Amino acid sequence: MIIRYNPFNWVLLILSSLVLLFILAPLTGLLLNTGPTEFFETAGDPEVQQSIWLTLWVSFVATLVSALGAVPLAWIMARRNFPLKNIVQGIIDLPVVLPHTAAGIAVLGFISRDGALGKAADALGLNFVNNPSGIAFAMAFVSIPFLINSARDGFAAVPEKLEKAALNLGASRSRVFFTISLPLAWQSIVTGFVMMFARGMSEFGAVVIVAYHPMIAPVLIYERFTSYGLNYARPASVLFILVALAVFIMLRIFSVKKKVIHLTPDAEA
Amino acid sequence: MLKLENINKKFGQFALSDISLFIHEGEYYVLLGRSGSGKTRLLELIAGLTTPDSGSIWLEGEDITRCKIQKRNIGLVFQDYAIFPNMTVFGNIAYPLHARRTDSKTIINKVNMVAAEMNIAHLLKRHTPHLSGGEMQRVALARTLITSPRLVLLDEPMASIDASLKDDIRRVLRELNRKGHTIIHVTHDYREAVSLASKVGVIHNGHIIQEGPPEGVFRKPVNRFVARYAGIRNFFKVVFRNENGHWKAVCKNKLIFNLSDNSYPDEGLMILRSEDIKIFNEKPSGKHDNCFMGTVRDIIPSEYGMEIMVDAGEKFYIDVSQEVYKELQINELSDVWISFPAEAGIVLQGTN
Repeated sequence: MIIRYNPFNWVLLILSSLVLLFILAPLTGLLLNTGPTEFFETAGDPEVQQSIWLTLWVSFVATLVSALGAVPLAWIMARRNFPLKNIVQGIIDLPVVLPHTAAGIAVLGFISRDGALGKAADALGLNFVNNPSGIAFAMAFVSIPFLINSARDGFAAVPEKLEKAALNLGASRSRVFFTISLPLAWQSIVTGFVMMFARGMSEFGAVVIVAYHPMIAPVLIYERFTSYGLNYARPASVLFILVALAVFIMLRIFSVKKKVIHLTPDAEA
Repeated sequence: MLKLENINKKFGQFALSDISLFIHEGEYYVLLGRSGSGKTRLLELIAGLTTPDSGSIWLEGEDITRCKIQKRNIGLVFQDYAIFPNMTVFGNIAYPLHARRTDSKTIINKVNMVAAEMNIAHLLKRHTPHLSGGEMQRVALARTLITSPRLVLLDEPMASIDASLKDDIRRVLRELNRKGHTIIHVTHDYREAVSLASKVGVIHNGHIIQEGPPEGVFRKPVNRFVARYAGIRNFFKVVFRNENGHWKAVCKNKLIFNLSDNSYPDEGLMILRSEDIKIFNEKPSGKHDNCFMGTVRDIIPSEYGMEIMVDAGEKFYIDVSQEVYKELQINELSDVWISFPAEAGIVLQGTN
């Protein structure tokens, strides 16, 4: 793209560059200030490795389990009209706007031994606090809107006529869901899945309230920073950023593949 | 075969009201209406995608008003075909058989058979986004016909295909009807109705306003709406009077038409079909029921030749073939003569 000489174009270019610089400068500084020796030492540290592994698998399991309920809810939000639907949508979006520490307090109140779920779990000999399952609760609470909303958009983009045609051809409602709606909304669901996973694993505020130990990567970075200072927290941050970056690239690949579904060849033109 | 009794259904601000229909076995019924008139909604009611608020639907003597859509075995071909983009042509056609848990050998045999009938056997392995409009239409028909539905519903089957392919699809539909399929075809194009229908219904604002064989409906429309649908452009608000036993229609500007013997109201709307009006460049010899001199105001090429608008005190629209137009040697502002027989005048209900 050639930018023609035009004062407005130059203003746009300068402002856009400033924003990009604002994002890239701290990250570049972080990378440049981390020597290879410190980086590889940290990468080999079993505590760091365990922490990153814990972050990844807990976030993944939280996303996977949440998807079992989130995907059907997304379909309902895309296809059904019912009273107070806007309020339900507001509830779904609520975790995004809550301060994350407040979200953590809310989750803790629910899963601690004094809470409804905590009491029931305690009766079975389970404890969610300071446990990976508690971390999963906190991660899922703050990140589930990303999965629901992306899947909802995916289902809404599936022409309703296709579902009606399948019903007319003799398919049951569940068959229509599994053979038409789900496959056609699949890319959006996967994108939502990756977004929820990525958002869950970067969560700090809610998790630190529910479970300081075992330490997920964001808590470990915070702990190293408060106990030993910036230089000690930096290599762990770089390592975790690289992992997050890998997830982000995965997300972009899935997003780019997303396409609009057309019913007629004419509509494609 | 299919009977709809006093069907009523509200869809927000719009409603299908008091719809009653009877369609015989093997009939080709064309439901004609503008977009938003309720024709697709009516098909969805018959198919079972929605249920009526009141009234009943009977198919082959069985009340199917509340019957589940999957149990009705009524095939519906959607306007945009609704071909599943995540499946091949084979997958699409086999879909209803998979839904019925048919064994794979039977599925393969049936799909090959119906694909051969529809001339799409060579497309079976193709992915559907690469098909043309005509091919999609055939796939949609094959997918519907594979379960031998009791009734086939077609929603604007020719709306999304090129004009060059319409004849082809028309032939396919006629052939299906000849093989015994009872068809309800919804369209906004009266030429489709003329070329395919054994019976026509005209729907307007959720209500069927006229029904019958196409020649009856289009020759004798009940009101201006149906007349416009039948391509009629000559409308005259007239007062009727009897002079010495002969009926006459007097237009607003005093132009007087001689009418055939019949009974007429005091006033009404009279229509003339364009093809019933003859045009001459000189005063025609012999006796004519109605003969007027006028001036050509407009000449427009039309599907069948030329449409000539003549101002003879009232505006007359006349269709002529290219050959007749060349013979006439007329231009805009030429003086011409027009004539039409007394029995060409048709009187409609109301004056609007």
